[in-house]
Amino acid sequence: MPTSDPGLDKTLSALGLTQASEVAARFAELRAHFDAQLLEVHDEAGWKRFRDTWLGRKSGVLTQITGNWLKPAAPESKPAVGAALNALRAHVESQVEERRAAIECGAEESALARERTDLSLPGVIRPVGSHHLIRQVFQAIEDIFFSIGFSVVEGPEIETPYYNFEALNIPEFHPVRDDMDTFYLDLPKGAPGPLLLRTHTSPMQIRTMERQKPPVRVIVPGKVYRRDNPDATHSFIFHQVEGLAVDTDITFCDFTGTIEYFVKQFFGPQVTTRFRPSYFPFTEPSVEFDVSCPFCGGTGTAAGGGTCSKCKGAAWIELFGAGMVDPAVYGFVNYDAKKVSGFAFGVGIDRLAMLKYGIDDIQVFFQNDVRFLGQFP
Amino acid sequence: MKVVYNWLKDFVDVTATPQELASRLALSGTNIGGVENGAHGAVIEAEVSSNRPDCLGHLGIAREVAAIYRLSLKHVAPKPAEGAAKASDAIRVEIQSPELCGRFTARVIRNVKIQPSPKWLRDRLEASGVASISNVVDISNFVMLELGHALHTFDYDKVRDHKIVVRRAKHGEHMRTLDGIERQFDSDICLISDGDGSHAIGIGGIMGGAETEISFSTKNVLIECAWFEPVAIRRAARFLKLHTEASTRFGRGADPEMAELASRRAAELILQLAGGELLAGVVDIYPGKRAPQKIRVTRSEILRVMGADVPDKEIEASLGALGFAPVRVDQNRGAEGSLLAAWESTPPSWRAEVEREIDLIEEIARIYGLDKFPPRLPPARQGAARLPHYEAETRLRECLIGLGYREILTIPHVREERDALFRPAGITPAHLSNPLSEEASVLRSTGAVTMAAALEWNLNHGQRNARFFEIGRHYRLHGSNPVETRVLTIGATGAAREKGLYDTACDFSFADLKGDLDTIGALAARFTWSDGGPSWLHAGRSGNIGAIADDPISRTSFGVAGQLARRIADKLKLRQDVFLAELELDPVYAAMQAAKEARRYEPVPRFPAVERDFSLLLADGTKFSDVTETIQSLGIGEIHGIEATDLFRGKNVPAGKYSLLVRVILQSREATLTDAQISDFSGRIRAALETHLGAQLRAS
Repeated sequence: MPTSDPGLDKTLSALGLTQASEVAARFAELRAHFDAQLLEVHDEAGWKRFRDTWLGRKSGVLTQITGNWLKPAAPESKPAVGAALNALRAHVESQVEERRAAIECGAEESALARERTDLSLPGVIRPVGSHHLIRQVFQAIEDIFFSIGFSVVEGPEIETPYYNFEALNIPEFHPVRDDMDTFYLDLPKGAPGPLLLRTHTSPMQIRTMERQKPPVRVIVPGKVYRRDNPDATHSFIFHQVEGLAVDTDITFCDFTGTIEYFVKQFFGPQVTTRFRPSYFPFTEPSVEFDVSCPFCGGTGTAAGGGTCSKCKGAAWIELFGAGMVDPAVYGFVNYDAKKVSGFAFGVGIDRLAMLKYGIDDIQVFFQNDVRFLGQFP
Repeated sequence: MKVVYNWLKDFVDVTATPQELASRLALSGTNIGGVENGAHGAVIEAEVSSNRPDCLGHLGIAREVAAIYRLSLKHVAPKPAEGAAKASDAIRVEIQSPELCGRFTARVIRNVKIQPSPKWLRDRLEASGVASISNVVDISNFVMLELGHALHTFDYDKVRDHKIVVRRAKHGEHMRTLDGIERQFDSDICLISDGDGSHAIGIGGIMGGAETEISFSTKNVLIECAWFEPVAIRRAARFLKLHTEASTRFGRGADPEMAELASRRAAELILQLAGGELLAGVVDIYPGKRAPQKIRVTRSEILRVMGADVPDKEIEASLGALGFAPVRVDQNRGAEGSLLAAWESTPPSWRAEVEREIDLIEEIARIYGLDKFPPRLPPARQGAARLPHYEAETRLRECLIGLGYREILTIPHVREERDALFRPAGITPAHLSNPLSEEASVLRSTGAVTMAAALEWNLNHGQRNARFFEIGRHYRLHGSNPVETRVLTIGATGAAREKGLYDTACDFSFADLKGDLDTIGALAARFTWSDGGPSWLHAGRSGNIGAIADDPISRTSFGVAGQLARRIADKLKLRQDVFLAELELDPVYAAMQAAKEARRYEPVPRFPAVERDFSLLLADGTKFSDVTETIQSLGIGEIHGIEATDLFRGKNVPAGKYSLLVRVILQSREATLTDAQISDFSGRIRAALETHLGAQLRAS
């Protein structure tokens, strides 16, 4: 309620305000009064009281003006009073609304300050699992070769000497057998022949060629076994991906091109490749395949100076053995060595993963410590 | 093979530094282990592959160097002065087993002085990592390292009757070798014997006998330089577990022509360093002499295999330098680069392994340089295929990983007793005949056995919460046939949920395992559970798993799941509850495939669902499935779901009973259900439960 009585309960004529200028002055006073009171409104309760004082439907200031000033006013002064009242109403309504918004906003701000979520606290973690690192590398390799037309096949881990050795041009007492110390199964008497744990995924070369005619393009991921005493770099089980491509027009250039494509996809386009002549009974020409050390950029020097620990300063890393399929192998699968040619390779997965991720002990792959598994989500 | 850089210079005028040389050798096929600078100059560690016995001597490596750098190779032509007396009068040689020994040469030198070797010889041997013994013994080692051919020297006077008989060993025969070990032979082993041949004095191509060894009192020396059949040598070395420098060289295929030359070279050096008189001539028994076979190599085949051309002069120079003596034989001889060009080559005696055109192509390519063949990616001829179960396996992995399981890989080799704990009755495991240890002597016959070990490993290393899966195989024998079966193994222990800011901790329970398996089961329509399970699982908390499928094979149980039996947990010293499951994957994949093909869209209901709860008091032994079947038997199409929402025993529940709160969700596809309909359904459900299950219904 205005402090100095503006005479809201009386008519204008009772107040002696007959001149338009006097009426306007009285409205101006009321407006000034409103503005002054508005400044005192700071909270929601005060705002509600203030709103009711001015806009209350039954006895608000504007209601009183309408009832006591406007309605009884002389017809000739009515328009002026009405206009003044409307102007005042518009001002009051907009200011009251504005004030409310300002108060709410302020209240929200102070509440936010009080209740803001601490973003440094953890959320609720639903633990997810992970692929084994070896599986991840298998998948990466499968995807690369699949993208260039290689199908994926699998084969038995328990093999016959025929598939593991003989059909790969490794007769008994071949010196290469000394390098592949082999686990044999203990079979009951009367078994048709010895069985062994495959020492490489290469038996699937033979099984695949027995099953289909060229063109052949397959990779074979799988486990292999060699009877080595376990240490940081040896495990009697490890993983390989075998590759085989045979067709009427596969040459050494196709072979090196395919391998190069794979390595650049796997390690990145900056690596370079090198093929060194080597010897395997089931490929000819045979090669050892090197890649420029992806860790020191093929310089042999580590980023911080000193010898690169990955390539031991050699600038090259020996990755795997491969070559053109030896014509003798085709003889075992009834392919015509005069008409077809092809290449084969065998990539050691564990070593590749160790190189790529800096793992210095092959045994961690098989210990399955959650602290290891969790490092490769 | 340690290659002494300065020694190479005896045969080839190489000017490249040892490092450069090593790198070029590596790129032309001699694998290099490293280069070291020692007291006697640079030594290159050459890892000679098993097909290149000719490179197990400096002469052979020098030939490679000469071919790489296009240098000339110096000839080895020793001409030791011979006395008047004839060797053939002093020693007789008989080969009774020409299939084992293709050539045997003998020379005799009288009145030698056995003494320490001079410095130059000791230095060469030291650089090669060979200990110096005496001049004559050192010379045989020197000649072996120089020419790549092993030879043996006997104390001539200890050879009875001055007669050598080369023969097969008799069964059970034995002899003491140079290293002082008494060795027993089988009849496939070639022995050098003396006198009437009954008495062995050496193992042919492997090691000499102790009895006839050169000593400092030796006066007269017999030089044996022979050629032995490679396969027989490898077999014998393996049989005797005796791998020597000699067995390595003969086992890979020595040069039979070198036998006489190496003997002459040894004689020359003995005269030089130990004095004495060389008897005239050589006793040379050579039943295994073979005429070299000519091999043809054509440009068209080079192109077919290698995919890029090699110039004529490169072909001729590389084959020539390696001793293959190529001769152009086609009709277009004058035409350089002719597509019809063909050459005939004669493999030298030191390259017996070169027999085919492809072998010559490899020789040409490696000397020409493999980097000269431009890499290209061949075009694909046909679509590529993933493994048949690739998609199913991928979905399975995604699901398991989403459920919080980490993939593991285990070694299938386990201890027999451990495998037996998990092995179903009547299963024959696959034992290894030559295991590395008892710990790893049998291939796992279940996935569970190694899963348990992986959990054990983590618990023993302070990691008490683990959820694992493995997609692998188990191995069994059916008779003598091996059977490898794809299995999924699951293992879990510790907290299903760890205590955090917002949650309390919660241990992994059977219900977690079942829930996770049923989540996987949804990929295969649904897994079905039946009572039972193997003895290694807790009898009260385990079951068999199968699938809903048309295929009767996959409908039968293909898996087990449950809590590890306390008895086994105690044996493995697992101090907390462990949960395991194992499923054969082929039926799971088949069910997944069938479910995928059967899956069709079902319109989302448009009318609201209503829930009605029924609080039941049931007799122990009554199953939730009895409740659902009873309700479903009413055939009310509006029943959309039946859930168990609360279960308790004890307080306020009489003994022998339990309380189960069941929620039935009612929904119509045609209209919003009316109160009358709902109360009708509820009434029928109540009545059925009371009648068929004797359930007491409480107000809910």
